[in-house]
Amino acid sequence: MKKKQLIIVNILIILLVFFLIISVSFGSFKIPILDYLSNNLSQLHKDVLLKIRFPRVILASIVGASLALSGACLQGLFRNPLADPGLIGVSSGAALGVALTIVLGSNYIPSFLSPYILPFSAIIGSAVVIFLLFYITKGFGLAGMTYMLLAGIAINSFAGVGIGFLTYISDDSELRSLTFWTMGSFGGSRWDLILPAIIIILITIIWSLKVSKKLDLIQLGEAEARRIGVDIKKLKFDVIISSAIIVGVSVSLAGMIGFIGLIVPHLMRMLGGVNHQYLLRASIFSGALIMIISDLISRTIISPAELPVGLITSAIGSPFFLWLIFKIRKT
Amino acid sequence: MKKKISLLLLITQLSFAQNNLNCKKAADNNRIVAAGGSVTEILYLLEQSKKIVAADVTSVYPKEVKHLPSIGYVRNLSSEGILSVSPTLILGEDDMGPPNVIDQLNNLSVDVRIIKEIQNSNGILEKIECISNIVNVKKENKRIITDSIVPAIISLNEIKSKNETLGKRVMLILSMKGTSPIIAGNNTSGNSFIKMIGAKNIYESVEGWQAVSEESIINYNPDFIIIPQKDLHKNSNISSIKNNKIFAKTNAGKNNGFISDDGMAILGFGPRTIFSALKAAKIINQQ
Repeated sequence: MKKKQLIIVNILIILLVFFLIISVSFGSFKIPILDYLSNNLSQLHKDVLLKIRFPRVILASIVGASLALSGACLQGLFRNPLADPGLIGVSSGAALGVALTIVLGSNYIPSFLSPYILPFSAIIGSAVVIFLLFYITKGFGLAGMTYMLLAGIAINSFAGVGIGFLTYISDDSELRSLTFWTMGSFGGSRWDLILPAIIIILITIIWSLKVSKKLDLIQLGEAEARRIGVDIKKLKFDVIISSAIIVGVSVSLAGMIGFIGLIVPHLMRMLGGVNHQYLLRASIFSGALIMIISDLISRTIISPAELPVGLITSAIGSPFFLWLIFKIRKT
Repeated sequence: MKKKISLLLLITQLSFAQNNLNCKKAADNNRIVAAGGSVTEILYLLEQSKKIVAADVTSVYPKEVKHLPSIGYVRNLSSEGILSVSPTLILGEDDMGPPNVIDQLNNLSVDVRIIKEIQNSNGILEKIECISNIVNVKKENKRIITDSIVPAIISLNEIKSKNETLGKRVMLILSMKGTSPIIAGNNTSGNSFIKMIGAKNIYESVEGWQAVSEESIINYNPDFIIIPQKDLHKNSNISSIKNNKIFAKTNAGKNNGFISDDGMAILGFGPRTIFSALKAAKIINQQ
């Protein structure tokens, strides 16, 4: 990493820590955070802080980091600035899994399992998509990224048919759950649900950081990279599997949250440069940062009610994206 | 005499609510969060409105509710938001959610009560009784029930059984989606309302709220069309339905058989639903 990039990453880390503290201190429930440090809080205050707000902030930062990282890796791999976790169909696979469970399965699930069933079905959904991609592209080995992108688009629209059909046959309350789920939320996070997810995501993030050098080389073109000695098949495997895992787990816990995977890597590229050693790290921290800020807005702006966080990220993301397109056209 | 017997019968049925654990008296009912239109309506009916500290967005009646802090939509609540108004009791409609938020609230030992909904007149009476047990207002409650609700149910049931012999064919239109209406099929609150007034839902074979074709409306030829109104676009719905050429061809269109009322009054299954049903049942009975 260059010196400037190192500074950016460090600033991002400081900002992240700062906003983590801000985010834990503010919410619709007023909690004097200084009293917590001096252990002066009532039981209810403590419970709200430790059981409701804290897991939520942690989950938001982990999900933001994974979506942004996966976006950066996929954009690098496909050498396509429009790639994001939604593009290869992983998110919609997860969404289809959830829709199936909400609409068809809700009556057959014993109640003690119900907190785990949506995350589980989302992971199954994204796993099926990865398996399909793997099968269609003969172990990711088939030449040409376009081929894989097209396969992703086809899988996306097929999952869209499934979700559309399920929406059509769903009853009133199922439809509501489905709608709110697709807008994303970190509400209702619980330690027992998010701890396994955090562990899985952290391991996968460390795993995917290793590919940054190879992602730089593949920017020269697939043939060139192969000539230099990059194992393209293994690279594709690493990037896609790790993206699928972190996106599947994130989507399962927080629902569909748009635009973070797409805009954060672009933003970081514009700030600091394109080499992936920098880009991946910067995306992780800024993804987490933007997500906890969005979540903070979502739960305080119309308090005591709450806006779905997916609305906030898209509301910030879409104008930014338009501006980006405008700027690219000018240059 | 007959009236007195049915009154007695109705009141004995209510022992169910008293025995139900979920309806037992709350330890502290001074700060209530009301999640659900009918729950709020009942709290106002029981003159407990001063204890409500926040309500959800489906609570639209009476109008004063709008001045209370809003906790959002009843099926998509936020635990911290609810706790921020420091409630001692949360009373919710049976579609209150999402489940993980309800779990969180239960785990924090907040008194959360989900009021069971059975979509008929006795079900509404049970709701009222259950809530009055929880908030402990037995005396006033008895007066309200015996003075207004029970007599209304009794006359509703009388007209209902007369209507059942008439066999009038009815449809309920939730909204217009372009030119095709979204109607109440089987297993909807709209269908329950049609049953309450003793009419026959022409779309009982359809499951849930669905869009239906214009042709099928002419084919089924409803005698009456029930239109729940929404606050936002109050008259647009009705006028667009009345001026619609398709509806003009039906019996309802020819005889001006349009019945409209506030949406939550028809579909909310709170106290107002009984009076709304009574009104609708009378209209059907007269024509």
